Amino acid sequence: MDTADIFLGLHDFLERTRQPSAADIVKSIKSFIVGFSNDAPDPERGSAAVQNFFKNMEATIRCHPLWAGCSEEELESAGEGLEKYVMTKLYTRVFAQSSDDIKTDEQLYEKMALVQQFVQPENLDIKPTFHNETSCLLAQKELQKINMCKAPRDKLVCILNCCKVINNLLLNAAIASEENPPGADEFLPVLIYVTIKANPPQLHSNLMYIQRYRGQSRLVAEVAYFFTNMLSAESFISSIDAKALSMNEKEFEKNMESAKALLSGLSTDFDGVNVQNGENEAVILSTEQEKPRCWPQNASEVPAMPAKPPLTQTKDEKAPIIIDKESIYKVPSLLDLENKGASKLLEEDQVCRIIQEYPYLFAHAGDLTINEVEDLLVNYKQLVFKYICLAKGLDPPAISSHSDSRKQVLDHVEAGKEPNYTRKMERDVPEIFIKQTDDNHSPFEVSFFSSSSQGEVVLPETVG
Amino acid sequence: MGCSSSLPADRNSGRLGALNSEVSGSNDAKNLRVKLVLLGDSGVGKSCIVLRFVRGQFDPTSKVTIGASFLSQTIALQDSTTVKFEIWDTAGQERYAALAPLYYRGAAVAVVVYDITSSESFDKAQYWVKELQKHGSPNMVMTLVGNKADLLEKREVSVEDGMEYAEKNGMFFIETSAKTADNINQLFEEIAKRLPRPTPS
Repeated sequence: MDTADIFLGLHDFLERTRQPSAADIVKSIKSFIVGFSNDAPDPERGSAAVQNFFKNMEATIRCHPLWAGCSEEELESAGEGLEKYVMTKLYTRVFAQSSDDIKTDEQLYEKMALVQQFVQPENLDIKPTFHNETSCLLAQKELQKINMCKAPRDKLVCILNCCKVINNLLLNAAIASEENPPGADEFLPVLIYVTIKANPPQLHSNLMYIQRYRGQSRLVAEVAYFFTNMLSAESFISSIDAKALSMNEKEFEKNMESAKALLSGLSTDFDGVNVQNGENEAVILSTEQEKPRCWPQNASEVPAMPAKPPLTQTKDEKAPIIIDKESIYKVPSLLDLENKGASKLLEEDQVCRIIQEYPYLFAHAGDLTINEVEDLLVNYKQLVFKYICLAKGLDPPAISSHSDSRKQVLDHVEAGKEPNYTRKMERDVPEIFIKQTDDNHSPFEVSFFSSSSQGEVVLPETVG
Repeated sequence: MGCSSSLPADRNSGRLGALNSEVSGSNDAKNLRVKLVLLGDSGVGKSCIVLRFVRGQFDPTSKVTIGASFLSQTIALQDSTTVKFEIWDTAGQERYAALAPLYYRGAAVAVVVYDITSSESFDKAQYWVKELQKHGSPNMVMTLVGNKADLLEKREVSVEDGMEYAEKNGMFFIETSAKTADNINQLFEEIAKRLPRPTPS
């Protein structure tokens, strides 16, 4: 059944319950929801109560005249509709409510935010054949949708879709390289890698929510298997240490330290920012007296999260952040300059001159003679030196840039690749910090509720 | 190197489909549904054994929807009972060993696989047997499988060693070749016979 079927299932369920003869069912559902909401929240008891209610209601539906003569599928669909309706109503009551879950969520999120900076496929035993960054990104996107829906089944579907993308990647890679068909040896490592890179907020709470409130009779077989893989990925990630990634202690700690530094904005080193394939961006905000600080923004990693929980906040107890908008000077990073240059290059037709200056730019490997290799090497060395000098020359930062030119850069860069930090940094970030300091409820909530989405169903106020 | 050409035939068919169709087929005395977990070092051919089993007796109704690490296959026994195996593959690499309990919890059958050309994988198999004896369900049907039996010239673990270890631990033992399909069906049929039957209530 795909999402559309389930949507119809809910729709059909609601339609049927509008009939007068459904009064008893409507009454049971209403009184259950009211009763549940009056009880003190307790995950174990809540889960048992909901599971029990589903079981009883489904038995009732099975014998109910309204569903008389219905096929197994239709009854199944009614069960799904019931589950979706009830859980959407109870969502705020039961999702991520226990303090243990919230704490685990935060720890897991922070851990993944750090580990994702340096983990490599080989640290998890992913063979190069089975690594494909594009497919991994797709899988990440599927997983990140988990916070856009409320019904346990819909969340589960996000996990299953993520697994499906991974399996397709593995199968295609196996076919292309004539490797053995992939099994769990190949699958689990990629799932873990994808999860770390996706770092969906509140992952633990999501998994617990599914485990507790997805109808037990439906969490079986293949679905149960892939859900177990997700639990297993969570378990692995939460206990990641040097050994788990085949690193030596020192190397691991160094990586964790620099990841922390990067995230908490203690790093002033431009080169240090570039931990993973240039996706990370740093913007230096400096007040006149304070040392420069930087916030990593990694929009391509977390597209669904407009307000990324600022890890900075907990880390920077010593130096409360006072950002005076007047005194913020933005300094372009290397990537900024590169993009600016690229857009200029596109504007003016300078290609001919470039060819004269760099004769090998458009050459094919087959065109080169042995004698030209030396020339090429000299050229390469010059370029590297030039690049390094320019990079070093950027430090210390002193230039204030014009927002016009920056905007221009952004406009020219492919959407999604360039973190949209410019305007964010000017306004949003300080606000987020202020907000977070007086509201320690849950850093995720803002974005959570603001994401209206697919899969979300607008339910009528009352049944019947 | 177990099964070079085996791919699930209907790998792209079906959607997340039939999430629930399994529910109705709950266990009765004639139709068993069992969870089977595969354990063993990476590269011993765990998934190849399963693919060979599933592909060999291709069942068009079996729903392979997501991937090859989970497969299910139903077999009919002579006494007209059917057994539906839901086969859970596990990652065999050392770093994932601690996660195994999540997978074998609730499993009725554990198949511990090693590669007869690797004594290291045989050691690993013994580790899994001990682990299951300590933490697994006591009613679990345990099986020891020496795979890659076609690679005789590279053999490092003798049949006797395998058999002796299995006997000592009350396990069923068989050598298989996922590549040639040798003993694959026998393995699953033998397991099916050994399953405890639910007492009719």
